[in-house]
Amino acid sequence: MRWPSKKRDADLERELRADLELEEEEQRERGLPADEAHFAARRAFGNETLIREQTREAWGWGWVERFLRDLRLAARVLVKSPIFTISAVATLALGIGATTAIFSAMNAILLRRLPVPDAQRIVYLMVPEGQPSGASNTGDSDSSFSLPVFEALRDNPAFSDVMAFAPLSTDKVDIRVGNDAPEQASGEEVSGNFFSGLGVSMPHGRALSSEDEEHGAATAVLSYAFWTRRFSRDPSVIGNTLFVKGIPFTIVGVAARNFPGVEPGAVTDFWIPLQRRVGLSPWGNSGSLYSSPDWWCLQLIARLAPRVTPEQAVARVTPAFRAAAFADLKTPVREQEKLNLVLSPARGLEGLGDYDAEPIRILMALVALVLVIACSNVAMLIVARNASRESDFSLRMALGASRHSLFRQLLAESVLLVFAGGSLGWIFALFATKALASWARIATGLTPDGRGLAFCTVLSILAAGIFGLAPLRIVARAPVTGGLRTASGSSQRRGRGGSVVLVAQVALCFTLLTSAGLLLRTLLNYEHTNLGMQMEGLLVFGISPQHASTSAERSAFYRDLLDRMRGVPGVESATLMQERLGSGWSTNDEPTVDGVTIPFEQVPLRVNDVGPDYLHTLGIPILEGRDIADSDTAASRRVVVVNETFVKKLLPRTNPLGHQLGGFGDPKHTPFTIVGVARDSKYRSVDEAPRAMAYYPYAETGDAPATMQVELRVHGNPLAMIPAVERAVHAMDANLPLEKPMTQAAVFADSYSDQRLFARVAAFFGLLAALLVAIGLYGTLSYRVSRRTGEIGVRMALGAGRRQVLGMVLLQAFRVAAMGIVAGVPLALLCGHFMGSMLYKLEPTDVATLGGALIGVLLVELAAGWIPAWRAARTDPMQALRSE
Amino acid sequence: MSSVKKQEELQRANLLQGTLDMLILRTLLYGPAHGHQIGKHIQRTTNDFLQMQHGSLYPALHRLEKRGWVTAKWETAPDRNREFKYYRLTEKGRKQLVVEESQWKQMAEAVARVMWPAAEEG
Repeated sequence: MRWPSKKRDADLERELRADLELEEEEQRERGLPADEAHFAARRAFGNETLIREQTREAWGWGWVERFLRDLRLAARVLVKSPIFTISAVATLALGIGATTAIFSAMNAILLRRLPVPDAQRIVYLMVPEGQPSGASNTGDSDSSFSLPVFEALRDNPAFSDVMAFAPLSTDKVDIRVGNDAPEQASGEEVSGNFFSGLGVSMPHGRALSSEDEEHGAATAVLSYAFWTRRFSRDPSVIGNTLFVKGIPFTIVGVAARNFPGVEPGAVTDFWIPLQRRVGLSPWGNSGSLYSSPDWWCLQLIARLAPRVTPEQAVARVTPAFRAAAFADLKTPVREQEKLNLVLSPARGLEGLGDYDAEPIRILMALVALVLVIACSNVAMLIVARNASRESDFSLRMALGASRHSLFRQLLAESVLLVFAGGSLGWIFALFATKALASWARIATGLTPDGRGLAFCTVLSILAAGIFGLAPLRIVARAPVTGGLRTASGSSQRRGRGGSVVLVAQVALCFTLLTSAGLLLRTLLNYEHTNLGMQMEGLLVFGISPQHASTSAERSAFYRDLLDRMRGVPGVESATLMQERLGSGWSTNDEPTVDGVTIPFEQVPLRVNDVGPDYLHTLGIPILEGRDIADSDTAASRRVVVVNETFVKKLLPRTNPLGHQLGGFGDPKHTPFTIVGVARDSKYRSVDEAPRAMAYYPYAETGDAPATMQVELRVHGNPLAMIPAVERAVHAMDANLPLEKPMTQAAVFADSYSDQRLFARVAAFFGLLAALLVAIGLYGTLSYRVSRRTGEIGVRMALGAGRRQVLGMVLLQAFRVAAMGIVAGVPLALLCGHFMGSMLYKLEPTDVATLGGALIGVLLVELAAGWIPAWRAARTDPMQALRSE
Repeated sequence: MSSVKKQEELQRANLLQGTLDMLILRTLLYGPAHGHQIGKHIQRTTNDFLQMQHGSLYPALHRLEKRGWVTAKWETAPDRNREFKYYRLTEKGRKQLVVEESQWKQMAEAVARVMWPAAEEG
């Protein structure tokens, strides 16, 4: 293609040359002087370039060549103005990249399905109303079912398969491989049809079977990720032994590589069949699954039978579901009908639904605003730049360039800009998505996938369309002769359209700054919330005595452990608790005070089984009475310590000491006598409201927990104590790992890690928006000042001072800011309204935040306006007038 | 003054549209010629009414060459000791000329009938 065209070009060149020379000769022969003949010939010929171009087109390859030539020219032009090019490409890259990253995250969380065959037939079973009263649950009240319910549903013909699963612990469980050191992994016990029902293939070994479930077989399947991480993909691992809580399991298979498990947003390391034995109860509970029919602890997932819609399935299984749910509870039928079964489509991270989807939608909205700012910015940059090239265009048109070719060149520049911006944006999105996944702790990993790419491409094309059209206006209007004169008359008119965009940008920037401010202040509120205890110097870790099978044995273990901990040099005091503070977990109960049970709906009672010196170790002030002590044992009188909210709500206007609290909803239990009142402190998380709280001595409840959290108050850096503490624990049992040792402060800090993430992302977007708006405003103001040089020169010649000129330009910036803020306040309030649920101790109409955003916008305007204003003020009137 | 002249040029240009190919082919019926000669010939024959636009002439020549109605060859001009690109009518071009001529005739007659109905009757 190149060769013949080149030959033809040379041929045409030669032909034109020959004919032109002939024309010149003829003119000379007619008697014209040589130089005049030369010009007369050229005049007669007309526009040679145009002839060449049009003739080339006759051969049909014109458009490809033209396109390549346009691109080459565009590239040269862009390289010549690096500041414009860099800012436009960077703006586009940031806009497109940030949007793609957020879209990919949202895509993964909201749209992607489980990686199993025919995934649209898979549903999660949900009970939005929660468990029937009288049954206990796990905290995931809307997704938990009892074993009898599972048994009743599993054979229903509406489903091809119903699979049950439950974690072995609230977090990770102690495991050991062969004689290696003990470690922790996340395990689930599942029904025998778990893998076959979902359709998960086994690259190695076999899946769990119904026989495995029936016999509670000691078999285990590893996830591919765990197999890779722990066993380096050693195929001979099949048949080896995996100790789970000290109990040997035989590894029988490895699950498909792309199957992370069905736990929302988490990766499961191994699966075992549902277990009958005590000690392997779901959620680390001390009982056993099969002995607790009222315990709703299993999550259910089902595959719809062929040609059965979810609605039909619900209708068919509801009677069986209600019958099983209320089997042992004498609940009236009217009440029973309030319990509904709901099928929700199974998506990989479905469980993140309520918890994370809302903030992600808000982040998506924020990033969309950033994108709008970025796109309008680039459009304005291009328009302003092309406007300043107007005389250049006019000159070229006067020299014979067609409007068409100018337009093509501008389009080529836009295409190059968008292509460069889009490619960079994609690279940026790769990193941003990775960062987002690790910030958000979505362990299954996020990658910008095909849909993200498609999204990015569509955005780029849209941007190309918009920016391609922007220069069209200029070219269409460019007057051939008018542009050659000094053009200053039309600047006012053009200024108006630009101002609207600027005002809109400022409004969006204000909104983003407000959102960022609200989230940052929320984060500060989290950080500065008084937790009600002395946070410094606290170390916490979990421990699960594997060889203590009875409550008495466990109590003895914990007593021994506490003594040893107190003996570790550097430990000031030590205590125990069942639920780790700040972990998000809590135990709850209905309070029975002096024999009267108060409904949970009125006063929900939070409880924690704790060790001696609890209040002292944590630094929670004692208001009345005493702390739990070493002397409170199974043999002594049963005692309990409550908090001030408990007293306020349940024992107001009386001395609480000596009153009786009968626990566990069981009147047969001996009540506990209140011996102390503690100040309120945080339990589950930083942002919880004060609730009535009871601290029971674990030794007196008759059921010492299977896992306890050890809390140590130490001198110096708590984490530096870990090796010494570990040695002391291993002196008791070499198989026991310290479970998630960390400072207590870090536990609470982790409890608002999502809020930290949102605040960071929003702050990033806010700063990005401010930067983009500053760039846009700077570009526009500079351009306007350069167009008004003559006018400014006249003003100065007539006596205007530098300060007045400076003020005049800055005033323009601040007028834009003022209008933008007026437009931005309602938008910001609306945005804040939607963010209400994400805020802590803060109203969406927070005046300080709005004020901060206002100052931020003014600073942006000042920074962007200062340089053009200063340049305008330095205008030399004489020079300006001369150039006019 | 200048606007009148501009209008005149426009008329000429419009006249040339679509008929240029035919005029070139007809000119080449006399024998091979180079671009300059063709342009000059048309201009001279019409008493300068058809001002030859080089911007249309060369694209038209190359278009005809591409379609195979003319062939081109570099040959030395008899009166100048230099080579020019001579265009020569092909057999296909001859046929095309007949087609275009008859089309033009029909067109001209049709236009004439509308414009001067009396003349037709007389």
